[in-house]
Amino acid sequence: MSSSLSVDNPEAARQAADEFRTVHAAIREEVSRMMVGQDATIDGVLAALFAAGHVLLEGVPGLGKTLLVSSLGKAIHLTFSRIQFTPDMMPADIRGTNVLQESETGGTKLEFQPGPLVANLVLADEINRATPRTQAALLESMQEKQISVGNRTIALEEPFCVMATQNPVEQEGTYPLPEAQLDRFLFKLVVGYPAEEDYRTILRRTTSNKEVALNPVSDAETIIRMRQVVRSVPVPDHVETEAIQLVMATQPGSEYARPLVNEVVSLGASPRGVQSLILAGKVRALLDGRFAVAGEDLKAVAPDVLRHRILVNFHGMSDGVTPDDVIQEVLK
Amino acid sequence: MKQDKPSQLSHDLEIVSMTLASQIQSQDRGDFIRDSMPTALKLLVVMPLLAILIQVFRWVTGGSAGWFFSWTSWSILTVAVPLTWLFARVLTRQVEVSRHRALLAADKQIGSSERIATADHFMQRSSRDGFMQAAVEDATDWVGRAREASLDEKSVRRSASLLSLWPLPVAVIGLLIAAFLTQYSRVPLAGDPSLPEINSVAAPVSITPDASQPKQQPNVEELPEPNPEKEAPPEQRSQRAVNRQGSSGADIPDEAEESSGKLSEGETRESQQSANPSSARGAPSTSGQPSKSGEETKRERKPKKKQKPEKEREKKPRPQEEKPSGATAGQGSSKGSDNNAAPSDWASSSQAATPDDEDIEDEEDVADEEEEQESRGGVQPNLRDRRTPVNRDLQIGFGNAQPNPDANGRGGPSGQKKSRGVASLVLGVPIPDRVNGQPNKGRIRITQQRITPEAEQSDPVAAQDRLPRQGSVGPIHHPDFSPWLQDFVRRYFLERRAQNPLQTSSPENTTSTTPQDPLQTSTVAESDTPQS
Repeated sequence: MSSSLSVDNPEAARQAADEFRTVHAAIREEVSRMMVGQDATIDGVLAALFAAGHVLLEGVPGLGKTLLVSSLGKAIHLTFSRIQFTPDMMPADIRGTNVLQESETGGTKLEFQPGPLVANLVLADEINRATPRTQAALLESMQEKQISVGNRTIALEEPFCVMATQNPVEQEGTYPLPEAQLDRFLFKLVVGYPAEEDYRTILRRTTSNKEVALNPVSDAETIIRMRQVVRSVPVPDHVETEAIQLVMATQPGSEYARPLVNEVVSLGASPRGVQSLILAGKVRALLDGRFAVAGEDLKAVAPDVLRHRILVNFHGMSDGVTPDDVIQEVLK
Repeated sequence: MKQDKPSQLSHDLEIVSMTLASQIQSQDRGDFIRDSMPTALKLLVVMPLLAILIQVFRWVTGGSAGWFFSWTSWSILTVAVPLTWLFARVLTRQVEVSRHRALLAADKQIGSSERIATADHFMQRSSRDGFMQAAVEDATDWVGRAREASLDEKSVRRSASLLSLWPLPVAVIGLLIAAFLTQYSRVPLAGDPSLPEINSVAAPVSITPDASQPKQQPNVEELPEPNPEKEAPPEQRSQRAVNRQGSSGADIPDEAEESSGKLSEGETRESQQSANPSSARGAPSTSGQPSKSGEETKRERKPKKKQKPEKEREKKPRPQEEKPSGATAGQGSSKGSDNNAAPSDWASSSQAATPDDEDIEDEEDVADEEEEQESRGGVQPNLRDRRTPVNRDLQIGFGNAQPNPDANGRGGPSGQKKSRGVASLVLGVPIPDRVNGQPNKGRIRITQQRITPEAEQSDPVAAQDRLPRQGSVGPIHHPDFSPWLQDFVRRYFLERRAQNPLQTSSPENTTSTTPQDPLQTSTVAESDTPQS
């Protein structure tokens, strides 16, 4: 663990911001060697990593969601684990369990065998296929960054980032994530199809003998330091006000809610949504070369931050209103 | 030097905020005026509408013709009302632009991503960390750009929004012109004290009972003799009219007394008009037209009437006989006889009941329709257009054979079904009726009579023995039997029949020869008879 960042003078702030941009660019470039296209998704994943959040990737199969996360683990030199969720998976399968082992004295003792959740980067593949019991096991780890096994509580090593994927089309036999767990994700990124030119690059890279080997360009300490840089970015009062009003505008019945929100939204964003807005806005401000968060940063990250925190009621769903439509209405 | 930079930046921020605040205020005022323009343009319509309403009101109430104000005054008022409203709204609007809003506007104008507003916010803090100081220093260059910037004008939106309102001024001009023309569209009636020259001209136009005398051209110099009633005040004339009505009795309508048909040569129509405009069937027609052009038009058109041949006038069919009706309510007179109950002067002029007035009607019917309509500005239709059209209903009333009394077209109702076919579409060619047939006058009459039922008397039928079948009936097909079995059964019965044919038919004979009781048959017949 590195010590806390000290930016008392503007020169140090400028250096920290420059370093942030350098590290971000290096990781992005390395991931882009493996991941073709999907620039917005890569930026979102990196923003969540630097903002100390978790990401939910939603997209149809074959778009490279798993490849993106695994490439990120290789590029940052973090411990990476992949969990393929299935309906018969138990919480102990992801947290780990106590195993009876022989001691040096010839006796036996219970020894904790960590599960795949004990890693820096955790890829929870098809998370909606796990039972709610297993999904609930992620709650503690994602929010508290610790796991409890028996009477032991084990703190997870920083940086800890869960990147979950889910398939929006095959809903048979799945367990949709509860709202409490969805709220713990900083971003919900919708992965779309690549462009035509990206298809050519994908074909050349994946159907030939060439193998792309990723090199680690950063490490855990750097990531932690960059997270401190992000949190050092100040937020003006009017931007805070704007973020608060933006989140309140998604809550039906609030004084900032528009008629569409009152009509089709059953659940709006929580206070955790404001935190996520500001954190994501700080990352974007640094990447934009600014030293403070602006209102445009909030508007830019609002769809990814608020998309999974807004629950459209049946009336809205029957009218074809999506959470993105609600967000666009709120941002007007 | 480090102390100078924040002070310089603060000064620049102050200048930028003040500059942008003033620009925002002016732009806001412009936006406010632009947003208020549709309402202001709608207010343009107020005064022209008021002018028309006043004209109509004065017209209905029989006030003197002419403008309440002058044409110029109406035009000025039309423009002044919206301008005054707009000016008052702009003066009463107070727009306060905060420093933060001004700086945000500057940020938006130069695309600095709120760097200036953020720097201003951080500068107001007592303690600033490295990022805040860096943000303030980062905004220095942007503040310099903001000092030279000015707000964009949204000219495109303005022009687009105002262009859509172009029909309003056009409508206002049209309304003003319409209001202006209303004074010319009115027909100045004789007897209007405000128009002495027109009254003088109207006298030669008045119709005399003697149609054999040639009509004379109207001459201004041949003014009629002064009528004592003309100089009398309206109150006195009104009283005289009332007295005249009382003396003439209830049977004589007012028109009979006031009709110009009783005038002798040289008398003016003015003297025959009701002194009180309100008593002339409620028609406010005694007001004249002050316009000179209207007078000239009237002078030019009146001689046309006189040039009409008198033979034509005699051949002219009389209008449909007037039926007494109560449709004159509210006209100020009890002599309404026309079907048209419109309380207007042109209608009242055709409601004469006396023969003399009918002569006047003939005279007026001779007049060209176009002329009449033009003289009234095309507002009032001709009387002929208001008449009930000829009823061409030829059908016999449903349920009764009474002919339709109103049917007067195509020869009236008859028992014949007439048709002129497609050839009748050829206009101007007389085509005789083709009789297609006669309507069936027969009727189906259904009557119900209450009678006492009687038993039906019938002879009993004597039972007879059924005779054996004569001749061969042909082969009988039995598909269920095999040919061998069919032949076997056939031979068996042939043998039985050959042995004793009577024994075979004995059961049938026994049944059929059972004598029937005639009494029982009769009883049954009676029981079938329905009881009364």
